[in-house]
Amino acid sequence: MFDVHEMEVNFGPQHPSTHGVLRVLLKIDGERIVDAKPIIGYLHRGTEKLFENMPYPQCIPHTDRMDYIAAATSNLGFVEAVEKLMGITGQIPKRAQLMRVMLSELQRISSHLLWLATHAIDIGAMTPFFYCFREREQVLDLFETYCGARLTLNCMRIGGMPDDLPPGWLDDLQAFVGTFDAAVDEYESLLTNNRIWKRRTVGIGVLSPEEAIEWGITGPPLRGTGLEWDLRRAQPYECYPELQFDIPVGKNGDTYDRYLVRMAEMRQSNRILEQCIPLIKQTPAGDIKAKISRVIRPPEGEVYHSIESPKGELGYYIVSDGKTQNAYRLRVRPPSFVNLQALPAMAKGHLVSDLVALIGTIDIVLGEVDR
Amino acid sequence: MAETATASPARTADEIKRDPLVAAAVARAGDAITDAKEFAGEITLSVATDRIRDVAAAFKDDGFNYLVDLTGVDYSKYPNWKGARYGVAYMLYSFRKNARIRLKVFTDAAVPSVTSVWKTANWHERETFDMMGIFFEGHPNLERILMWEGFNGHPLRKDFPVRGIDTGARIYPEVFPEGGGPKAGSTGKDVKDVNLYKGEWKHFGTWPAASIAARAKAGTQQPPAPELAGQIAETAKPTEEAPWHDPDMPMAQRLELAKSGSLKDKLFAAMAQTDCTACGWDCEGYAAALTSGESKDATLCVPGEAETEMKLKELLAAAGK
Repeated sequence: MFDVHEMEVNFGPQHPSTHGVLRVLLKIDGERIVDAKPIIGYLHRGTEKLFENMPYPQCIPHTDRMDYIAAATSNLGFVEAVEKLMGITGQIPKRAQLMRVMLSELQRISSHLLWLATHAIDIGAMTPFFYCFREREQVLDLFETYCGARLTLNCMRIGGMPDDLPPGWLDDLQAFVGTFDAAVDEYESLLTNNRIWKRRTVGIGVLSPEEAIEWGITGPPLRGTGLEWDLRRAQPYECYPELQFDIPVGKNGDTYDRYLVRMAEMRQSNRILEQCIPLIKQTPAGDIKAKISRVIRPPEGEVYHSIESPKGELGYYIVSDGKTQNAYRLRVRPPSFVNLQALPAMAKGHLVSDLVALIGTIDIVLGEVDR
Repeated sequence: MAETATASPARTADEIKRDPLVAAAVARAGDAITDAKEFAGEITLSVATDRIRDVAAAFKDDGFNYLVDLTGVDYSKYPNWKGARYGVAYMLYSFRKNARIRLKVFTDAAVPSVTSVWKTANWHERETFDMMGIFFEGHPNLERILMWEGFNGHPLRKDFPVRGIDTGARIYPEVFPEGGGPKAGSTGKDVKDVNLYKGEWKHFGTWPAASIAARAKAGTQQPPAPELAGQIAETAKPTEEAPWHDPDMPMAQRLELAKSGSLKDKLFAAMAQTDCTACGWDCEGYAAALTSGESKDATLCVPGEAETEMKLKELLAAAGK
């Protein structure tokens, strides 16, 4: 069974660097990983079962609780899927579209900031944590001013947005956008050319583009391999076609490249926000909801709709029987779940301490993995 | 898929199969593609269950090299469903064509695994097995992934209760009866081991608990299950006496039809017409109960929501009740 030097070790579920309750069953030879088996399900709450038993609008708060550090994008994917099912995608007012884009890009920034803070602290760099949380706090304050919540936002509705922007919100956003690029410079000055950081990340968990597609990997891990694929550009939704932004890609597909991709993505999100502010000032205030019936009873049919969440492709597959106000079946395609599947392939041959870097670089949220 | 037409007249199955997006792969798959549907701009191809692996490989060669998602649907409670109980949907994406399609197979028990075509299918198939109890033949490691090994049931099946089952953990003994937990030594792989909990259920703390309990106490009515609220009974069809008895008809039209009728008819027309029995009667029975005064609670129609409730109150107030 085992070689004389091999042994089996449980990594997690109560381990600070597993970012939740992930357990990895490791087979190790000394410090080296021979095999790894992720064991998940500790946070399974049956969200998909709940979705089948409540009307569509009531599902939105539950989507917050899947990817709980990127609630706005979870909301966005869900409401867009239902809008597609009802055939009202084209009726969303411009102002609502811009608000959705702004909230999702802010969410991308806050999600990447949390990823950077925890990823760095896992690897041993304490300082970036404090810097990242400084800016993340500002983003969460913006969310709080808009919808009253900081994490579980529930900030979108089928057909539009719940409320117009509060007075002064755009000025606060402008102030944040003006300073954020300098803040990213600051994080980069701490890590990008840091010798210890590079020793811990360069060449760790290398993925080729072919392997990444084979494993179904999306998001920054896919772009880190050099494949320029982003759903905001490939299959655009809302008003992304009107906005200028680049898709950052890596070269080697290792942990360091994924780090660079996410850093560049934060800058691009900031660039998008900067363009949104003058655009939204041109739209009439209060025009935030399409004129749809209060009772949402979509026709019979099935749709799959996906968006680019901070973690990758977040998809919703809805089967509607056209009779009730509930989804007959609502499946969530969580990016973290699929990306996590490649962990054993990435970890083989590396040291146990690199596993911590790999879990960080995949950027999983267990609420979304287990649902 | 269900034998109904979508709102807009769509292309026929043969036209969809000739779509340049899928034509090459369909030609390779031959007669394994049994049907084609289009909804909201998405193409769904039904595939003969035993041929799915070849068809998947054909599509992979034709550029659909990315399996986005794989999941199951339990059609056992789908209205007017004829056919196998489960559907398994494969969401494919082609980077070269920048397009998505969906393959679908239908089965009562097992589907060939596509893990040999895409590595990513591994966890998706495990999850579908775990949640639906669909077996994937040829899967290298078909074990539970979200529930624990030996869990007694498949949660996303339509006959699995929303409130959960007794897992043997005895956390809420006042809610969950004894027994029905995981069997000792069960691997979850033997189909006989993973049957659903068949024992008797206690109804506890479910909405509308107060009125159900009151009626149950009076012995007039069996306590109904709130899951019924989403269902449409076989009897929900227009009749000669009650032409408004049609769940798809809007409320205004129903009331128009019942305009010259008695109070009971008007109340009956204001119901959701699903005969779901969540209130404890069928729609006509509830209207009769409200008219006779047997029930004074106008809030019991769950599928009708606020629309029905407000109309019932309005009609009752107009009749002086």
